[in-house]
Amino acid sequence: MTPLAVDIANLFDIEFLISIGVLAGIYALVALGLQLNVGFTGIVNFGQAGFMAIGAYTMAILVLDAGFSFWLAVPCSILVTMAFGLIIGLPSLRLRADYFAIATLAMAEVVRLFAQNARSLTGGNQGLFCAEDDPSNCYPNAWNDVSDSINEWISNFWADPPSLLPLLLVVWAFVLVSMFVLQRITYTPWGRVLRAIREDEDAARALGKNTLVFKLQSLLIAAVLGALAGLFLALNLKTLHPTEFEPLVTFFAYAVLILGGLANYRGVAIGALLFWFVLEGTRYIDLPEDPFTETRIAALRLAITGALLIGLMAFRPQGLFGKKEEMVLGE
Amino acid sequence: MASEPESHGGTSAPPAPPSNGALLDIDDVFKRFGGIQAVRGASFEVAQGSITALIGPNGAGKTTLFNVLTGFYRGDRGGISFAGDSIFGHPPYEIARRGMVRTFQITKALAAMPVIDNMMLAAPDQPGERFRNLFLHPRAVRRREREVREEAIELLDVFNLGKLADEYAGTLSGGQRKLLELARALMAKPRLLLLDEPMAGINPTLGKRLLDHMKRLRTEEGVTFLFIEHDMEVVMNHSDRVVVMAEGRVIASGGPQEVRKDQKVIDAYLGETFHDSAEEGG
Repeated sequence: MTPLAVDIANLFDIEFLISIGVLAGIYALVALGLQLNVGFTGIVNFGQAGFMAIGAYTMAILVLDAGFSFWLAVPCSILVTMAFGLIIGLPSLRLRADYFAIATLAMAEVVRLFAQNARSLTGGNQGLFCAEDDPSNCYPNAWNDVSDSINEWISNFWADPPSLLPLLLVVWAFVLVSMFVLQRITYTPWGRVLRAIREDEDAARALGKNTLVFKLQSLLIAAVLGALAGLFLALNLKTLHPTEFEPLVTFFAYAVLILGGLANYRGVAIGALLFWFVLEGTRYIDLPEDPFTETRIAALRLAITGALLIGLMAFRPQGLFGKKEEMVLGE
Repeated sequence: MASEPESHGGTSAPPAPPSNGALLDIDDVFKRFGGIQAVRGASFEVAQGSITALIGPNGAGKTTLFNVLTGFYRGDRGGISFAGDSIFGHPPYEIARRGMVRTFQITKALAAMPVIDNMMLAAPDQPGERFRNLFLHPRAVRRREREVREEAIELLDVFNLGKLADEYAGTLSGGQRKLLELARALMAKPRLLLLDEPMAGINPTLGKRLLDHMKRLRTEEGVTFLFIEHDMEVVMNHSDRVVVMAEGRVIASGGPQEVRKDQKVIDAYLGETFHDSAEEGG
């Protein structure tokens, strides 16, 4: 095969595409929360990875250690994430936008470092997974049952469906429902106050709006979406490691947001698909082995993705679906 | 040297305000920023139904006082009562909801929102601003939205902005933004409007229209006005009462004729030139 050619057969392999689709769906959920925060409220939340971690770890700990059923642990973990968002948001949302960004980033890192070091609770860097001697009490089991029954039904039309297909369908069902709900609530009087805060918080306060409450609500909705994404990540990985919740996760979600365009929910979904297709698809560019060692290729993939983002910013600063007017006038 | 357009100063004095007491009572308010004592014991009253001007040299503490009155700054001490209730130290949104609504020196048009959304945002009593009502009472929300939209369009027409309802506010000219900000403040159903330099940066024709609107609102809707202004022609001819601040204190207050002859005011702000011209004009 000629160097620099793309391995088309592998690139369009169905298992590969589905695994990308799952990742893209998870990041779409994270970035939908960011869209509400950044695109519609003007609060720069860098803590989504922290909310994902809280959601995922709470669910896993409740099932594995406290013996909760998966279906009870899921709503509990979402409530815990919201409570955490409230604790983080109440003091930090009074800060200026840039300080708030730093506060949320620090919060997410505290969560990750806690997960890394509270070994008895989270397994630390070993990760959190099912005990081998007692596989009966294990959060992926509850999901595996659902997954099996979905695939059983699918096998009526498609013999031997890929094992990740049910997760793909459920993740994207959540993405679509979230998009629909967010779209509906954004263009209401409530959402209008959010947009006013984005434009000028003092103007909103001068017109009788208790802006802190609106910013908190916006943050909590993003936290819920983050928790959902964390839960799906846990189902996808089957084990939880602190490294899955590094700030890079939030930054990737921002890349998705910028790619899709600000103040547009549809763009987030398309942006997530495109981002992960490019980032993972670059694996299949054939490069000569010398000088391209594995680590160099890993770095190169990020560089290519970054270059594409920069190119997009240069030629289409509003992203794929963003409104140019809202960008220019926002200044 | 007397070149200010003062000739009609004495003749077109505005009607005396209906004297049913003070709507806003400011009592010995202090505000310090680090080593700078921006407001040092300001006291005055704004009579119900009046158009009161707040004047003074740059740095006199006028805008700081506005920010303390509307809750944007927390005053160090003093008392502020609005319609009989103490509002000192209350948050801005609460003060606005009581009916004391402000505009800003530099207009705060919500640029990336359509003009109509700017207007509808300001309407009070929209149940749809509570998150749960979006799901619990969607019909009440829609009903109020319809009312608010109608009101907003009517008001935009009054200010000759009707045709721009669907444009982004950021595309408006400076003068149009001033009008929009005033119209938006009116959507909030104010009893007292605090305007920070409403005439600054707009052409005289538009300024004249703004003044006409103020007077009409005072007579038709009973709105009271307190405004900061540097244009002495506007202050002397269109306000019933003038409050003069210098170095954080109120140094004089009274009717325009009274204040312009006050030696402290002449020394601190107006200068001899203005005094001379006033003498000639009056």
